[in-house]
Amino acid sequence: MIAETKKTPAARYGMSIDVDRCNGCGSCMVACAVENNVPPAASGATDRTGLTWIRVFRIDNGAEGSGRRSAFVPVLCQHCGKDAPCVSVCPQQAVDVDPATGIVGQMPERCLGCRYCMAACPYHARYFNWWDPTWPAGMEKTLNPDVAPRMRGVVEKCNFCHGRWHAAKAKAVANGKNEIDPADYIPACVEACPSGAIHFGKLNDPATETAQGARHPDSFRMLESLGTDPKIYYHSKKNWVREISSAPRPGLAKENARG
Amino acid sequence: MLPWNYGFHFGAATYIFMGAFYTVLLVVSITVLNALWRTRRGLREGKVEDIRWHSDFHDLSAADRSCRHVLTGEFASRECPHAFDCRECKTHAKLIAVHPPVHAAVSPDADEAELFGMSFPLDRMYHRGHTWARPEADGTMTVGLDDLGARLLGTPDSVELPEPGSRVQVSGTAFRLHKREADVRVLSPVDGEVVETGGVDRGFYLRVKPLSGTIDMRHLLCDSEVKPWLMRELERLQLALSMEGASVPSLADGGVPVSDIAAAYPRTNWDAVCGEMFLEP
Amino acid sequence: MVREMAKEMDKEFITRGVRRCSTPRFLLWLAPWVAMLLFGAYSAGLCLVKGLNQTNMDNRYAFGLWIFVDLTIIALGAGAFFTGFLLYILKFKELRAVINSAVVIGLVCYSGAMAALMVDVGQPLRAWFTFWYPNVHSMLTEVTFCISCYLTVLLIEYLPIVLKNRKLRDIPSFLVFEFEMHKLIYVLAGVGTFLSFFHQGSLGGLYGVLRGRPFAFREGFFVWPSTFFLFIISAAAVGPSFLIFTTWIVEKITGKRLVKDRVFTLLARISGILLSVYVLAKTVDTLIWINRTSPALGFTASQYYDWKPFGTWILFVEIVLCGLVPALILLTPRLRSRRAWLIPAAALACCGVALNRYVQTVQTLALPTLSFDKFLSYTPSWQEVGTFLGVLAYGVLVYSFSFRYFQIFPQERELRNEVRPQHEEEPVLAGRF
Repeated sequence: MIAETKKTPAARYGMSIDVDRCNGCGSCMVACAVENNVPPAASGATDRTGLTWIRVFRIDNGAEGSGRRSAFVPVLCQHCGKDAPCVSVCPQQAVDVDPATGIVGQMPERCLGCRYCMAACPYHARYFNWWDPTWPAGMEKTLNPDVAPRMRGVVEKCNFCHGRWHAAKAKAVANGKNEIDPADYIPACVEACPSGAIHFGKLNDPATETAQGARHPDSFRMLESLGTDPKIYYHSKKNWVREISSAPRPGLAKENARG
Repeated sequence: MLPWNYGFHFGAATYIFMGAFYTVLLVVSITVLNALWRTRRGLREGKVEDIRWHSDFHDLSAADRSCRHVLTGEFASRECPHAFDCRECKTHAKLIAVHPPVHAAVSPDADEAELFGMSFPLDRMYHRGHTWARPEADGTMTVGLDDLGARLLGTPDSVELPEPGSRVQVSGTAFRLHKREADVRVLSPVDGEVVETGGVDRGFYLRVKPLSGTIDMRHLLCDSEVKPWLMRELERLQLALSMEGASVPSLADGGVPVSDIAAAYPRTNWDAVCGEMFLEP
Repeated sequence: MVREMAKEMDKEFITRGVRRCSTPRFLLWLAPWVAMLLFGAYSAGLCLVKGLNQTNMDNRYAFGLWIFVDLTIIALGAGAFFTGFLLYILKFKELRAVINSAVVIGLVCYSGAMAALMVDVGQPLRAWFTFWYPNVHSMLTEVTFCISCYLTVLLIEYLPIVLKNRKLRDIPSFLVFEFEMHKLIYVLAGVGTFLSFFHQGSLGGLYGVLRGRPFAFREGFFVWPSTFFLFIISAAAVGPSFLIFTTWIVEKITGKRLVKDRVFTLLARISGILLSVYVLAKTVDTLIWINRTSPALGFTASQYYDWKPFGTWILFVEIVLCGLVPALILLTPRLRSRRAWLIPAAALACCGVALNRYVQTVQTLALPTLSFDKFLSYTPSWQEVGTFLGVLAYGVLVYSFSFRYFQIFPQERELRNEVRPQHEEEPVLAGRF
């Protein structure tokens, strides 16, 4: 699906998200939709049938009254490791982990729409096109020509703005370089975040901020006990926020009202 | 799916999985093609009648398939393994060697014999489908409907006889009879080529010339077998009539089937009764 | 005049020696089912034309009523392969009385499930992709391949039943082909058993491999989670029970006796034995899951049952009420020989399997995995229900048609005038008759 580039060493792209900095503005969600040609919600769509490749959730510490604290957590495809739950279950091999970048890629053209991968994903990071994509008149001018829109009946999800990776790659090749310039490849959500809560970079390059953030003792990944080896690291100084890495207990959470 | 498809992975799991899939496809196709080829061969070799009878025999109830030697009491119960073709049967050959039957042609008493009020002369041999065959002096065999069969049908509405020159097989279709809603094929007692056709009023239905020159009637009932067979057939007729809801006086206490049984039961499903008696399920 | 001719012609297609209702009455019986089928076609059409937004499924409930129904009817249709296996491979000759009915039910269940599946996927025209680019590690690929092959086998097994029709077998080529096909039926039975073993299992494996759903995830043997084997055993156990249940329903509707009591007792005993094995296996599996598998993934098992309304009562109902209880009834000779006990036991067993499939599909998706998820609920939309009803109507129509014109129950003729004995004697040996 994605040709291996033998000349460049494999990268492991990941994110380090500082939950303490996220204020729940939702700019990342808007930027993602604009970059990836995600259609606006069809009439009749609910918060459970929309397409939000990145989605900000509001969590609180469960206390009442003045002791109550909230935080915002952006959730997107966690780009699990080589045993990503969604890869082995797709009957058409429409999902794979790109060995060159570590990105879990989805091929909408091959997707049958069986939604097995959606059942497999514990992070609910996959979204199904319940409607045909339609844009209101005039809005087609905002479409990104570098990203193909998806048809009705297929699954889609965050792919770390893979189009931008291709553009960065092309630029590097044009300049005669092997490796892409990190400044050229920044996903839309990272670019849009006003508080700089999301860091994106190669996890296997210890010099990057992302890798350093990931190694910080206050960093955690969600549902690590499942053995998915995700590449999204969350960071928070607050203990109660770090609890989201573990299994749910009845009665605890809240979704972002703007969700 | 195929090795030259993009994204095909060569690995143990693929080999096992696709191997199993192709094997299943192969096995199923071969089975179906085999059946089709055998069908073509069966049709070409004229095995249709043979197969029709084997298929019908298979659908008869167990009681209807009992061996002729159960009739004579030599076995308590036994199902015929050869679809009533005793010429193949080793058990029959052994039993015949021990108790050779007296053939009607040899016996001096070749005249009319009355059994249960019906005429069952012993100069002929009977097929369990209620037809008889009699060897003639000129080497041919005469084939007719026995008295019980005739009474079942009374005056048939129509008869379909085979063309002279056509072949008949043992337990294949000899001719077809229609009466009211009944439409039955009548089983042929012998193998051969039809040389002459008869009719209801001529006392016989077919005259058949054996193909091989010799007449083999080992599979037909004769003499001491006829009475117990007939008794059983009358019981079966009773059962068939009561299954179709007809009120039946017990024939065992001396009642005689009338000459036109069908007319005696105008509202009974005659097709079902004839199907039972003529062994066409 | 035309109506008279039509009635006469209709009669000619009906097997000799059995009674069927008059043609107008048969059409009257068909009418509501045809209406239901049309409604189902309309519902399915809406989903195909307008998209799956016509359903109430969403990103959390990726699988809904249809998947649950598909899994259930495939489990219930297991009677087809299992009866074929017992009859043609293990020579349980007594089952000849129900094999044709089992094949028709199997055909109807599998083709109905395939039809529902085609509406369920987002892009049905891409169904051939699974065959062209198969992912041999995915359970769903195995399901697709096996079910497609098995449906073909069932169609081929159905063909002799059709060709044995009274009028059709007058055609020499049909007669001979049916005869030759029947001689080779054991090959198809063997292939059918092999395929069914794998697809019943992989339907269980679908959920057992989901590491992301600790509620469903199970450890197992090699690549197969324990649910693989549990599904096979439960399908084999419930196949005979479903046969008992449907035969009883057909007997009630048509007012005829169709099978001898010994056949029911044999099916009940087989079902009872397998159900007991299943209950034992399931209990062991559940205990391992509660104490080892789920905690190893960081999810304590008790928290699943804290989400209302899915309390531990569901586990109790599935294993004890709809598993152990019918197993015990079916194993007790005194009880299983009486219809008043046999039929509810068979129905309970079928419900148990349906509940198990429900728990695997719907409850798995209802339970949250992230700590800030909510427990969400789902009710199918009328289009989904309509499609399901369409499949049901299709099944009833095919079965009614088959019952009228083909010999589905060979013992029917024998049993026409028999009086039902009070207590049928139990066959002593375990089934070689």
